[in-house]
Amino acid sequence: MRFLPLASKILHILATIGFLLVSWQIFSILLDTPAFPPPEQAVRSFLKIFRSDLAGHLGVSFYRIMFSLVVATILGVPLGLFLGKSKKADRLSAPFIYLTYPVPKVVFLPIILILLGIGNTSKIVLITLIVFYQILVTTRDAAKNLPKEYILSIRSLRATERELYQHIYFPACLPAILTSLRLGLGTAMAVLFLVETYATREGIGFFIMDSWSSLAYDQMFAGIIAMGLMGFILYLLLDFGEKVLCSWVNP
Amino acid sequence: MDYIYIRSLQVDYLQNNQTIAALENVNLSLPQASTGVIIGPSGCGKSTLLSILANLNPNYEGRVLLNGKTPRESRDTALILQEYGLLPWKTVWDNVKLGLQIRGIPKNKIASRTEDILKKLGLLSLRKRFPTQLSGGQRQRVAIARSLILEPKLLLMDEPFSSLDALTREEMQDLLLELWKETHLTILIITHNIEEAVFLGQKIFIMSACPGTIIQEFENPLAGDHTARGKMEFLEMCSILRSYFRRGEKDALSPACL
Ligand SMILES: Nc1ncnc2c1ncn2[C@@H]1O[C@H](COP(=O)(O)OP(=O)(O)O)[C@@H](O)[C@H]1O
Ligand SMILES: [Mg+2]
Repeated sequence: MRFLPLASKILHILATIGFLLVSWQIFSILLDTPAFPPPEQAVRSFLKIFRSDLAGHLGVSFYRIMFSLVVATILGVPLGLFLGKSKKADRLSAPFIYLTYPVPKVVFLPIILILLGIGNTSKIVLITLIVFYQILVTTRDAAKNLPKEYILSIRSLRATERELYQHIYFPACLPAILTSLRLGLGTAMAVLFLVETYATREGIGFFIMDSWSSLAYDQMFAGIIAMGLMGFILYLLLDFGEKVLCSWVNP
Repeated sequence: MDYIYIRSLQVDYLQNNQTIAALENVNLSLPQASTGVIIGPSGCGKSTLLSILANLNPNYEGRVLLNGKTPRESRDTALILQEYGLLPWKTVWDNVKLGLQIRGIPKNKIASRTEDILKKLGLLSLRKRFPTQLSGGQRQRVAIARSLILEPKLLLMDEPFSSLDALTREEMQDLLLELWKETHLTILIITHNIEEAVFLGQKIFIMSACPGTIIQEFENPLAGDHTARGKMEFLEMCSILRSYFRRGEKDALSPACL
């Protein structure tokens, strides 16, 4: 009995993949251009070049994404909790955040490139900056809207500040933090592609653009599959983390 | 000896740049190991009074002593809030042990004391559940377990049973009395329910709004008697209280209040 939900979930995923492949096939027949090869060709190319080419690029991209997400989380979560908890700090910082949050951070790319060079650092810094803002704002708002009963109930036990974060603010905001990470992951993938399309010879974004400019469309789609898979696996990881860490939300 | 001793208590709140007197000239004495009940219209400052006793609000004037200590100094007070204050992200077990954890009690002692109190309140089989997986009565039991595990001398309860159905409510009232007889706690309860006041309070304090203060005080010999519900004296006491309660409510509608 316990296996049924998992089995049906896997079946659901397989059916969805099947649906995507069929749609892809139909489109490639309808479009009838070498720039849109059928899935079979792309998958074959994916399997052929995975070890020789893709794995390396994928590794670099994975590293950039993970590093950025981890740093953005380590910086954004504590700061967000702090701003949500401290009215004064929130008041002081609110104008700054409201003015800078809506500015698309990608416009800083040239500056970041000039300051940090064209290596990994500048790419990671840009992705981190963007994801950091999302996490910061979501976490802050979650902490701010925490019912004060929770805080009172543990304050009356004379909890220290650290214990307030440990027992109240962090666990209470964790669902919101994971949601913001999921949104952040989507943004991070998009920005990753952008920063990998120039001034680098590594990463899945570079691989896709490089295949495109050499008219190797099968390879290009193999790269797209690889990028999609990477995103999918990261989502699964986040999902799993949420199930384990936030089982209280939907027990 | 009085466990709670309050003289000329005054509490002001700042609302839209205006000071509003939430409590004015409140005097209250409650003997050690006895039960007291406060009833009064909503907004008359009952929760404010408990927040002062529980040291959640240090801004007051007047004299407040708990067993001879100020609320700030006293470490023996437990407060159960209106909405129980259970943490939804912690299991029953983790909610109950939290107080000991914060006090820095050694781990093995925490485990055995948590188990003991859960057993006593019939909650052991529910220990892995989250609060959302419990009924109202079960949740209230957890809230009580969470407070009693700290072995307080004073238990403050803010409308603890108001969201329970009548049957569960009586069950919880009986449980509370049982625990009280066993532990010799001093208990101060806020309620809206007059029958509950007569059943639980050896002393009953009636508050009025505007100003928020105690207008009448009763000694109630019927408290704690399991057979009292439905007796003639019980009903009489209720009707006396009801008339005073009405008076307090009328004050809440007076021009000074609005
Ligand atoms: N933190 C607060 N800030 C400002 N006013 C408050 C605050 N808490 C309560 N009050 C006001 O004080 C009065 C008494 O509130 P409360 O003690 O909650 O009453 P009760 O518990 O009897 O319903 C109410 O008029 C309420 O609006
Ligand atoms: Mg209240």
